[in-house]
Amino acid sequence: MGKELVKDPLNIIICGVGGQGNILATELLASALVEKGYFTTVGETYGASQRGGSVMSHVRISAANEYGVLIPLGQADIIVSFEPTDTLRVARDYANKSTLILTDSRPNYPLGVLIGEAVYPSMEAIETELKKLSREVMIIEATRMAVEAGNSQATNILLMGSLTALPQVPLTAEDYDKVMEQRFKGEALELNRKVFKIGYEHINR
Amino acid sequence: MEWMITADEPGRTYLMQGNEAIARGALEAGIRFAAAYPGSPSSEILAMLGHVAEKMDLYAEWSTNETCALEACLGASFARVRSLCIMKQNGLLVVGDALHSASLSGVKGGLVLVVADDPSAHSSTNEFDSRHQARSAGLPMLEPANMQEAKDMVKWGYELSEQLQQLVMVRTVTRINHGRSSVSLGELPKEKPDPVTIGEWDRMVAINWFKDAQIAKIDQAKSIFETSPFNEYKGPEEPDMIIVTCGTGWLYSSEAVEALGLRDRIGILKIGTTYPLPEDFIVKHLLKTKKVLVIEEVDPFLEQNIAGIIAYHPELQVELLGRYGGKAMPRNGELNPDIVRNTLARLTGTAFTGPETAVIPPEEAVALPARELTFCAGCPHRASFFLLKQTLRIQEGQGVVMGDIGCYTMGGQRAGHYLYNFLCCMGGGINAAEGMGQLTRFGFKQPVLALAGDSTFFHSCLPGLVNAKYHDSNMLFVVLDNSATAMTGFQPHPGIGQTAMGKAAEPISIKKVAEAIGCPVTVADPFDISGTTSKVYDLLKQPGLKVLILKQECATLVVRKREKPRVWVDQELCRGDDCGCGRFCSRIWGCPGNIWDYEAGKAKIDEVVCVGCGVCISLCPAGAIKMEGGGACG
Amino acid sequence: MPGGMDLKNEVFQSSTCALCGACLDWCPYIANMEDHLVMRFDCNVGEGRCYAVCPRTYADWQAIGDRYLPDTPRNIEIGPYFNVFRVKAAAGIKGQQDGGTVSNLVKTIMEDELAQAVLLTGSEDHVTPEPFLAVDIDDIEKAAGSRFLASPGLRKIIEAQANKVQKLAVVGRPCQIQALRKMDFNRRPDKPPLDLITIGLFCMWSLGWDFNEYLQKNFPGEKILSLGIPQHGFVVKTDKGEHILPLDEVKKFNKAGCGYCLDMTSELADISVGAFEAEKGWNTVIVRSGKGQELLDKAVEKDYLICADYPEEELNRLKGASIGKKNRNLNNIQAAFDKGVKPFIDLNSEMYAQVRKLAEGMVK
Repeated sequence: MGKELVKDPLNIIICGVGGQGNILATELLASALVEKGYFTTVGETYGASQRGGSVMSHVRISAANEYGVLIPLGQADIIVSFEPTDTLRVARDYANKSTLILTDSRPNYPLGVLIGEAVYPSMEAIETELKKLSREVMIIEATRMAVEAGNSQATNILLMGSLTALPQVPLTAEDYDKVMEQRFKGEALELNRKVFKIGYEHINR
Repeated sequence: MEWMITADEPGRTYLMQGNEAIARGALEAGIRFAAAYPGSPSSEILAMLGHVAEKMDLYAEWSTNETCALEACLGASFARVRSLCIMKQNGLLVVGDALHSASLSGVKGGLVLVVADDPSAHSSTNEFDSRHQARSAGLPMLEPANMQEAKDMVKWGYELSEQLQQLVMVRTVTRINHGRSSVSLGELPKEKPDPVTIGEWDRMVAINWFKDAQIAKIDQAKSIFETSPFNEYKGPEEPDMIIVTCGTGWLYSSEAVEALGLRDRIGILKIGTTYPLPEDFIVKHLLKTKKVLVIEEVDPFLEQNIAGIIAYHPELQVELLGRYGGKAMPRNGELNPDIVRNTLARLTGTAFTGPETAVIPPEEAVALPARELTFCAGCPHRASFFLLKQTLRIQEGQGVVMGDIGCYTMGGQRAGHYLYNFLCCMGGGINAAEGMGQLTRFGFKQPVLALAGDSTFFHSCLPGLVNAKYHDSNMLFVVLDNSATAMTGFQPHPGIGQTAMGKAAEPISIKKVAEAIGCPVTVADPFDISGTTSKVYDLLKQPGLKVLILKQECATLVVRKREKPRVWVDQELCRGDDCGCGRFCSRIWGCPGNIWDYEAGKAKIDEVVCVGCGVCISLCPAGAIKMEGGGACG
Repeated sequence: MPGGMDLKNEVFQSSTCALCGACLDWCPYIANMEDHLVMRFDCNVGEGRCYAVCPRTYADWQAIGDRYLPDTPRNIEIGPYFNVFRVKAAAGIKGQQDGGTVSNLVKTIMEDELAQAVLLTGSEDHVTPEPFLAVDIDDIEKAAGSRFLASPGLRKIIEAQANKVQKLAVVGRPCQIQALRKMDFNRRPDKPPLDLITIGLFCMWSLGWDFNEYLQKNFPGEKILSLGIPQHGFVVKTDKGEHILPLDEVKKFNKAGCGYCLDMTSELADISVGAFEAEKGWNTVIVRSGKGQELLDKAVEKDYLICADYPEEELNRLKGASIGKKNRNLNNIQAAFDKGVKPFIDLNSEMYAQVRKLAEGMVK
């Protein structure tokens, strides 16, 4: 019992601010896909991410061909983002009218805003523009839910749970769980399983 | 993943990062020696090898700089031990002399040099194309097009290296190093040969006598490359155009040709052995067409070598297009699938319709605040730059500041109050300061300062320090010692006390080294802003060479070591917008931990981000920031 | 109203700064290195309060005078005043400079709780000025005696505000009184006013802090006990004896900023106090407001001060001295404006033309 790849290649962007666990989450997702036998590539931009820069991972999934690691502009099928302004930034370049967007709502204030030189836009304004750029926008209070579950650092896995629940993604919860089992042990595994489930069930309500 | 690169599972396929694949390739080739200096995007390779060194029976070293690394590999190679040397594009330039000399002397045990370029300089100060060095030094070079090739080329590189008795370069780019895709594992050797005995008359010398031999090796490489499986043609027998490509260009070109529906009109000639080029192989395919487009990362290196081939073969009648002159492809900058597809569409007159996207008129678009890079919360560099800027302003001597390379390079921007005037390469700051500090004899009156981090100090400042002291230049050399090579990911350096393999080592004291050279050394804590400001102020009044070590640990290290104290703002005391005309802590000090409570109109501490260094407490003019609990910092 | 960078360019870097201290400590961007002010970090605020309070940036002094001394009879030479008196302390106060008037006025303020704190300037080493907020009568002694080195006293205003002081008395130089008036005149409407009593001092010039180095170099190892100009010549009293320095020697250390000051007698204060040249041990007191008169009356009632009439010819001499300073400094200001310093007064106004005329008349 698996899910099929409905679009080939399927292009997913996972993005946020450095330090949010973007890389790890993406790597688990891509590993699960490789286990299922898909050609999967991941392209990442990081390096100075620790120091407040944006981080973006491109995941490309195909049953037939190997693709270069970068997704062409306007061709992301799904955008999963940890930070609202980064969602919009990425959507402007990579979303099209069929794109599905999943985003956390918790802001991460850049330096300009902290010092009062720039204003952080409202979630309403961001959502309005995101809706114009895509097919569907889902706002998930991932950080809040992760904190309630016990750890704000597990927001990334929670969002992966939501992503896995989407019909377009050819993975089941079990598939993802298998790679988590390979990587985590004991308490860490339990916590990640818990938040994954919260994210997964949030979509399937 | 370390378990992945050491997995004894030949045939198994895993999602691997390019750097992991490279490490795996070297392990499959049975290396027993690896040396490198950290540099993005290559740093992960040696880090992983260091962690698995014991298990995999090899020696891995974070050398003090790239020259040490390369020459150390030469030493291992002399004893017929297979070695891997890794660096980024800047590192390859640092080893220029060693590289060309090694090419002349040749090697004995296989030596593969992996060089990671950073097109568009995502994590670098500049963009260089390392491939020119292969041609300049006369070294065979391979360019992987995906992660599988990264592994396979490194592995095969050792066979080639021993066959030719020559260094082999493998050139990658960020998208290969940091990208991930499926890689099938090969076998790990059960046994590795021991180092041989070096006879009295055994030689590995770089003298001109071996020039002919060196050239002969290039010819030999060329004939080997003529039949290499890393080069292949896919496409029609009479294409309108052939795309000649290497590295990441291959997959971008394939995708572009598919997307434009040009499979029957365009052929793709993939080259994996980019120097020396397999001339006959290339001529054979170029005879099929009248038009050639070259797609490659950074410079028109492949393109201009192909231009040479075309010039030497009058039977070819092709129009050559590429990066040269920016005519077909952009002159510089990283490749991506859009650039390649758009160029191809333009050159073939084909229209491309992608999925429908929305166009938001600018007046309706939400204004997004930019994400600037800044120092982490609790970073000692923030304090150092703050107090240096303050001192120079108070002193009003219009000091000139030479920067250098590291996390503190960001100090040239807002995070460091735009402190420094000059930036070159590693070790460049102290030498530039030495030169300017000699101009006092011509009436130059401004104080001169040079900055360097602790890792930079060992990497390339030692000759500069000797030079400055010996010639008694009028300058202040400031070492920003945060006990880390932080920018590249906290790899250990000689001042730290730990090796790449996790063993303890006797740390080398920067203070003692400087004193041994004869410099007057002052050590100060950058977190003591007012105290250190006075010290710098006094030092700037003195002539001659002075050394100041601003010593305080990197915040990301401190956070791991002790329980952090709670820091918060007493909003009763905070002056809010009456602090001057607004917000000294967040506006000037600029730590990401100092944020603004828009509702209360007062300052606030982001307790998740705050590390508890306590510096903002000493700066708040109203004494509104408080701290309690936690272990001591630094 | 321009901002911090304008203050830096127009005042700090053109040497017109008087070191009144109004911008210091209020704004954390501004720091002092001894008596020299610098902008530590670039301020990007377009309209800054530092610029608004600085006595060396443009102000409509006439309007300011009208606001704070509305009913006082005008006078070009020594500013608006009701009365001028000769005043001295009934009983001596330890450390007093001349007549001990200021110390006793402050004592009166404290006893009668006319203010919650008094901004005074002390000096431990009798040379370097140390402004502080006095709340006890014992503090007065600390501040007794003249300070010759410029004191950035107004830097303490922010401390007063932090301590929730609403009624404050200030003893200050003319530039400081000007700054205090500008502070209120340009006050943001949502900010509460400070209830002030201002005791202005007479001032010809202040010395830069490099004078301290000079003293140490010339009198090494000696402990300075007091500085003063009793008659002619600058007297430096130390534990080893008394040294007299020619005034010209000392005037070499005048702060450059003092050369642009057009106010010798603190023309905007409630009450101004200075030396009485004609007779040792007396002060000249100019009463400018009802508040000032009340204060003087109270002090006299308590038998702290003795008040007497002011001789006509001394008043003329005083007025002459004041016009002399104004005229000299008008020349300095003209020269500065010619060199490109941003004008902070309108040199062509009627008032300055009159000053010039009076000055000419004096020479004859």
